[in-house]
Amino acid sequence: MWRASTVSALALCAAAGLAAQTPDTGPTEAQDSTAIVNAVRLGPGDSLGRLSVPEVAGRSLRPVTAADNSAIVKDIEEKIRCTCGCNLSVYTCRTTDFECTVSPAMHQVVLKRLAAGMTEAQVLASFQKQYGDMIFMEPPKHGFNLLAYVMPFVGLAVGLGLVTGIVRRWFHRGGAPGAPEAAPEAAEVPAAGVAAEDLERLKRELDDFEA
Amino acid sequence: MTDLGNVALWIAFLIGLWGSVVGFVAGRTKRQDLARSAEHAMFALWALLVVAAAGLMHALLTHDFNVEFVAAYTSRNLPVFYTWSAFYGGQKGSLLFWALVTSTFGSAALLVNRGRYKELTPYVASTVAIVVTFFIGTMVFAANPFERLGYTPVDGRGLNPQLQNPGMVFHPPMLYLGYTSIVVPFAFAVAALISGKLDTGWLHAIRKWTLLSWLFLSCGIILGMWWAYVELGWGGYWAWDPVENASFLPWLTMSAFLHSVMIQEKRGMLKRWNFGLVIGSFLLSIFGTFLTRSGVISSVHAFSQSNVGWFFLVFLGLAAVAGFGLLAYRWPALEAEAKLESMVSREAAFLFNNLILIVIAFAIFWLTLFPVISEAVRGTKVTVGPPAFNLVNVPLGLLLLLLTGIGPLIAWRRASVGNLKRQFLWPTAAMLVVAAALLAVRMSYGYSIVAYALAAFVVGTVLQEFWRGTGARHRLHAEPYPLAFVRLVGRNRRRYGGYVVHLGIVMLFCAFAGLAFKKDTEVTLKPGQSVDVRSPYGEDFRITHQGVSQYQILNRYVTAATVDVSKDGKYIGTMRSEKRQYLDSMGRPTFEPATAVAIRSNMMEDLYVVFAGSVQGTEEAVYKIVINPLVWWVWYGGMVLAFGGLITLWPGAQGPTPASRRRAEPAGYVARVDG
Repeated sequence: MWRASTVSALALCAAAGLAAQTPDTGPTEAQDSTAIVNAVRLGPGDSLGRLSVPEVAGRSLRPVTAADNSAIVKDIEEKIRCTCGCNLSVYTCRTTDFECTVSPAMHQVVLKRLAAGMTEAQVLASFQKQYGDMIFMEPPKHGFNLLAYVMPFVGLAVGLGLVTGIVRRWFHRGGAPGAPEAAPEAAEVPAAGVAAEDLERLKRELDDFEA
Repeated sequence: MTDLGNVALWIAFLIGLWGSVVGFVAGRTKRQDLARSAEHAMFALWALLVVAAAGLMHALLTHDFNVEFVAAYTSRNLPVFYTWSAFYGGQKGSLLFWALVTSTFGSAALLVNRGRYKELTPYVASTVAIVVTFFIGTMVFAANPFERLGYTPVDGRGLNPQLQNPGMVFHPPMLYLGYTSIVVPFAFAVAALISGKLDTGWLHAIRKWTLLSWLFLSCGIILGMWWAYVELGWGGYWAWDPVENASFLPWLTMSAFLHSVMIQEKRGMLKRWNFGLVIGSFLLSIFGTFLTRSGVISSVHAFSQSNVGWFFLVFLGLAAVAGFGLLAYRWPALEAEAKLESMVSREAAFLFNNLILIVIAFAIFWLTLFPVISEAVRGTKVTVGPPAFNLVNVPLGLLLLLLTGIGPLIAWRRASVGNLKRQFLWPTAAMLVVAAALLAVRMSYGYSIVAYALAAFVVGTVLQEFWRGTGARHRLHAEPYPLAFVRLVGRNRRRYGGYVVHLGIVMLFCAFAGLAFKKDTEVTLKPGQSVDVRSPYGEDFRITHQGVSQYQILNRYVTAATVDVSKDGKYIGTMRSEKRQYLDSMGRPTFEPATAVAIRSNMMEDLYVVFAGSVQGTEEAVYKIVINPLVWWVWYGGMVLAFGGLITLWPGAQGPTPASRRRAEPAGYVARVDG
């Protein structure tokens, strides 16, 4: 079915000279595209142009509503993950993977629950009841999950303790200080008129920069 | 040719086994003939893997669909350009690529160091041979890229559309180069530990390799971010995906090593730490490879699940035991040669810098594995997504940025109060001015304010270092400022290249801080309809839908949606986002339609337009529109970072410091071992 319609559409395009090598971007090409659109857009009795091969344009979408873009919806959907296995939040998935059918469905559930008068916390709790903790994009901050957040800072504290211990040990050890750094070669001729004292200071400074 | 490749793989496996053993025997017995044999085994491995790679490439280019790998990842109408991507686009080919690049680096390391480090090179040859042989063994026993099918399909399945992007031609090889080149420092570390040559000689041998590896990893990561941004269509470039994290982990440990190695070279301190970092970096590179292949953690980047993961897990365990076991064995001989003279010294600053880098690495490692840990301990699966990573890593990252500025300001050994005042005055003033300015314009995100203020501090430190160094040369040698600047950098490329890298890091931090101001919306537009979007800078964009066109090009059918864009009432251009349905050579669709994003970028912000799809097959289009501030700074920050790395790496830069040379001199042994 798909193949038949594609072939016929390709034939149509070819006949209209539209299956040409259209480059990817740029104003000139965009004008060409517009011309193509105008040629294909209007059919008899149809106020809105139909695509010649809608099957290749991805999943058919519903018009976006104000609710889809509302802050509370976005906030909720950024906190819960799409269960299609993509590892993305519902919001990211439904606005990125336009072929996914799971995240739009979950989005509709969010809209329905909000429309039914649930608060953000209640909607999130309802998803947690349905799917468990894994539905959240971050582990809820209680019980064992706290380890996820605490351990890096425990690591930092342990590291600080270790570094402090090492530093103290190095301080208190009677070992001789490291050998002095060798002075870098100063092959260049110094500027005339530089006082000996200033020369020494500048050399020290330059040694420091070039060390 | 394809079968020859398969035969070459098997011969390489046998030679690899020989090379894995003979180098160790040569090292123990000091037999030169065996040492030469180990070296020759490495060269032979490389040659055989080149033949194997040529065999696979031949199969790909000639569409030999009887080869399972070719049928799975290419099709007759796949552009030749992307046939190269197909080589490593599948698991089996990527293993061959890994082995080939590792053997190339191993051979190059042996050639470059011919006649030097004679006590080390046999062990180096064997260590690299073990790693390469492991990869070859994995291929021949579990994932052979030359495996044939019982029939020959008319056409192949084709390459995943998301891999048909220029970014994917360069990003994975760069990452592989980064991962694989860590093998050389690891091999030298193992060689030093086995042979007991624990002076800084092994550090000199791996100086360029560590930088090279770090540079490849940096470029690979940035290219990966770019690919994700332009190809995946979610308007971001970093999602804390497990596989992204896996590439970031060795980068962090290598960055720590590049700092701490300076302390060992200058002061003879942190020897154990440096060995640990090199071993850890290698293990993390294998861990990254394991993650992508095991299916243990779900990721958008992962190869399909297979038993290959077990091979990597076992190898990872053995390598960890061997590496850290050797370190434990030599532990007593790795005492520091000098004592720390002051907490206010560059050594101390580098210690804390190392600590933060490693804690960040630990945090990412921990959070990446937490779902597995939670399931193992509680039997409950949890998701650890970007919010958790950001919560932990943003403060740690800002602390690191602060230390990036502090480190270069403090003198080695001991900083005086006068020195601190002189060094900190201007950078601190710059930081305070920026913070005050941002508060004055009522910037609302605390972390962003801190990030920009610290960025000003770090830029202040770097500029001050360049300014004062150039000034000192100018006054001392009466050189014109440009010449003084060039000579200053030329005489210590490592230091000043490092400062350029710091500038790149600052640019990246500025870009990351800009994410807080990202705006996105979804709209449905009929042709001629517009939507107005206001940028965080108060600019008004008007986006007018022009229509949708469809056409066929190359191996895909394109549905392109076009919009005109005006800013503050002035037309600025036309943008086009596409849906691409890829077809096989018979015109059948392969994979789901992919999205091509339209991006209009400048230093301030990106306008990012995604054609989500059409409403009921009409020209009424759904768009996702994102205004992404400062994304430009990610790509150019990455370039500056790479440029700094190149300055440091450039041939002709002075070698090890005099202090470091002294430490390596006396017959290759440490001059003085305390305690």
